[in-house]
Amino acid sequence: MFEIGTGHFFLVSVIVFAAGVATVLTKRNAIGILIGVELILNAASLNLVAFNRYQWGGDAAGTHLLHGQIFAIFIIVIAAAEAAIALAIFLNFYNNFGTVDVERADKLKG
Amino acid sequence: MTEVDQALICTLLVTATLLPLGTFVALIVLTRRVIFRQAGAVATAVMSFSFLLSLVALFKWIGAGDDAKAFAWNVPWIPIPGTGDGYLYLGALIDSVTIAMMVMVSLVSALVHMYSIGYMAGDKRYNWFFAYLSLFTFSMMGIVISNSVTQLLVGWELVGLTSYLLIGFWFEKRGPQLACKKAWVMNRIGDAGFLIGFGILFWQVGGKLLLPAVGEGEAANMFVAIRALIEADGHHSIANPPLWLTVAGIGLFFGAIGKSAQFPLHTWLPDAMEGPTPVSSIVHSATMVAAGVYLTGRIYPILTPDAHLFISIIGLITLVMGAAMAMVMTDIKRVLAYSTLSQLGYMILGMGTGAYIFAIYHLIMHAFFKCCLFQCSGSVIHAAHHQQDMRHYGGLGRKLPITMLCYGVCTLAIAGASIPYTSYGISGFYSKDGIIAGAYNYSSAMVEYGFLGSLFFWGPLIIAYVTPFYMARSFALTFLGKPRDQYLYDHAHEAPPTMYVPQLILAFMAVVSGWFLWRGMIVDSADAMTAAGATMVQSTAEIHAGEENIHGPLLHGCAWLIMIGLGLLMYRNGFGISNRIVNIKIASFKTAFGRVNVKPIKVFYLWAYNKFYFDALYDVFAIGLCKLVAIICGLFDKIIVDGRADWPWFPGIVNGFGWLGRLGALIAGWVDDKFIDAAANNAAMTAQGWGQLLRTTQPGRVRVYVLLMIASGALVMLVVVTTAIVMQ
Repeated sequence: MFEIGTGHFFLVSVIVFAAGVATVLTKRNAIGILIGVELILNAASLNLVAFNRYQWGGDAAGTHLLHGQIFAIFIIVIAAAEAAIALAIFLNFYNNFGTVDVERADKLKG
Repeated sequence: MTEVDQALICTLLVTATLLPLGTFVALIVLTRRVIFRQAGAVATAVMSFSFLLSLVALFKWIGAGDDAKAFAWNVPWIPIPGTGDGYLYLGALIDSVTIAMMVMVSLVSALVHMYSIGYMAGDKRYNWFFAYLSLFTFSMMGIVISNSVTQLLVGWELVGLTSYLLIGFWFEKRGPQLACKKAWVMNRIGDAGFLIGFGILFWQVGGKLLLPAVGEGEAANMFVAIRALIEADGHHSIANPPLWLTVAGIGLFFGAIGKSAQFPLHTWLPDAMEGPTPVSSIVHSATMVAAGVYLTGRIYPILTPDAHLFISIIGLITLVMGAAMAMVMTDIKRVLAYSTLSQLGYMILGMGTGAYIFAIYHLIMHAFFKCCLFQCSGSVIHAAHHQQDMRHYGGLGRKLPITMLCYGVCTLAIAGASIPYTSYGISGFYSKDGIIAGAYNYSSAMVEYGFLGSLFFWGPLIIAYVTPFYMARSFALTFLGKPRDQYLYDHAHEAPPTMYVPQLILAFMAVVSGWFLWRGMIVDSADAMTAAGATMVQSTAEIHAGEENIHGPLLHGCAWLIMIGLGLLMYRNGFGISNRIVNIKIASFKTAFGRVNVKPIKVFYLWAYNKFYFDALYDVFAIGLCKLVAIICGLFDKIIVDGRADWPWFPGIVNGFGWLGRLGALIAGWVDDKFIDAAANNAAMTAQGWGQLLRTTQPGRVRVYVLLMIASGALVMLVVVTTAIVMQ
């Protein structure tokens, strides 16, 4: 029987991470970049949860140890905060430039 | 006397004292009301009521039983730190002298208030005059009733202030300005002595400064405390006192020298005549200047024999000098002022020689006749349109008969008129006779001083001859003879009733007050003082013995007759004979008694007319010295402090500091420029340079940053993984 193991999770995680990086690199739209960042963060979360499972498995003695899961929850919360700040920056950016194209954010360039 | 009587008398007198203060407050607070326009009437009514209260107290006091006639009401005022129950006291000390003085002061004050209604009519500060006059009366009564040296000092300064205000009442004019300043400064000098005496007493006996309530042995009684203190060491007593007591007594007496215008601080009193005449009549003749005598009487038991000698000398000099100057002055008020000086000298001499009874007695007699004389002179001045020079008078008796009558009666009173070779006379006769007899006893006890000791007797005796002469002179010059200023004579008129009624009352008092009451009352107080241990008071018996000794060889009771006659004769037609003596060029002239050398008389006349050059002396030495110091200080200020424009090498202290400040500022500015600003600028430029350099590395595009980030992350990963593999 084909068993789903840690390697599967890694595979998904790598795909998601690659998708996130590709998004961040290729998108000019700020919202798109934000989505890419979210993908990268979620890939990391997935990894952490998978590692937690891999470390403790179905061991009855270790089922109460949820370090990876808690790390994932922290990442979700931080991602929400980060999204709020990022959206606020974008809103101001839009107010000033009439667009969310990050290529236009080059005021500091000498 | 029962406690109830005592409380009643005390209440009456304290109320009488406070009433004029009420008038003062009302007059200065309720301006622009009815009371404002009727200030004179209101103040006179209040003062009369105050007199009435004093009179009731007098009768109550006479009618009460013979025991405990001196009593005090002491109110603790300020606690003295470090003495436990030591206090400075306020309150009232009531004995026969207090009551006699209260009646005298309130009567004179009421009459002067009434007189002022006429005299000050139409003045633009009419109500202020009455406010000041009431404040003065309050202060004076505060002195009279005071139970401690503290309260005496308070009243003392208050009368000084009101005297200053009243002398300078017409402060628009230059004369009163200078006169009130002079009075103030002279009194300051005297009061400095008062404060020194007060300080010594305070240092020695602390809060025990209650005046000797005669016949009462209280613990806080100053006399009792001092006697206990000096007798504690076993070899001192009141007759053989320590030095500090003498100094304290003389110090307190210095207050009297200032206030009673004694030599050498007498020069302010004649100048004080610049004030309105009612002021002269109460402040500068009847009451305030007599306060010095009263003070001396109040501190009498603590005065040591040496202090007595000092007081006698001051009194002697003053009485001789005052009389000499009164003989030659031509301003009617100045004649009276110098006469006051001389009479005050009598009182002070009486205090010094131990004739305490007659000094206080003369004080009260003098208050009546001198107040009347001043009021008469005021009426004359009023009639003469403020001409005060007697050279312009003459024959005014026909125009001012009532004033002439009063002036004449009081001239007799001050001259000591009596029936020759008997002991019946009017007021001045009794009091001055007693003082001269006391002086005789004093000088008899000083045989070891020879001629100098005998001066204490011959001085007052000779001046008793001079007094009738100068009074007759002023009387004759003013009222008798032909008018010397026809315009003035034609426009003269008798004063209004508000002015001549007080004159008549005072003249009546001047005649009769010698005959009843006062003397017995003062004898009471002197007896009580002797009983309490004071050693210097001459009893009436001693004084009478002295009188008996001197009445034999001298023309008893004739002095006034001869000298008034001579005065009237010499001056009945203006300056007649006296002018001939002073103005003629010849060196001597022939009389029935032989040749009279004129030169000494002329010299004396000039000296006396120029007030013995005291003003000049003070101008040169006191004021001149002050001015010299001021000029030196001024030069120091101008040259050293401010610097001179034509001395470029010395900028002066102020400019020098200015230059130093500028120099410091220049250095600081240079440092600021060269170091601090430069450091700040260089730091900024360095930062800018580095910024320029580093910014070139920045593309400014988000995706490039992300790419770099990921690439470097991948690189790190690559290194880590490679390292791990290699390490394996």
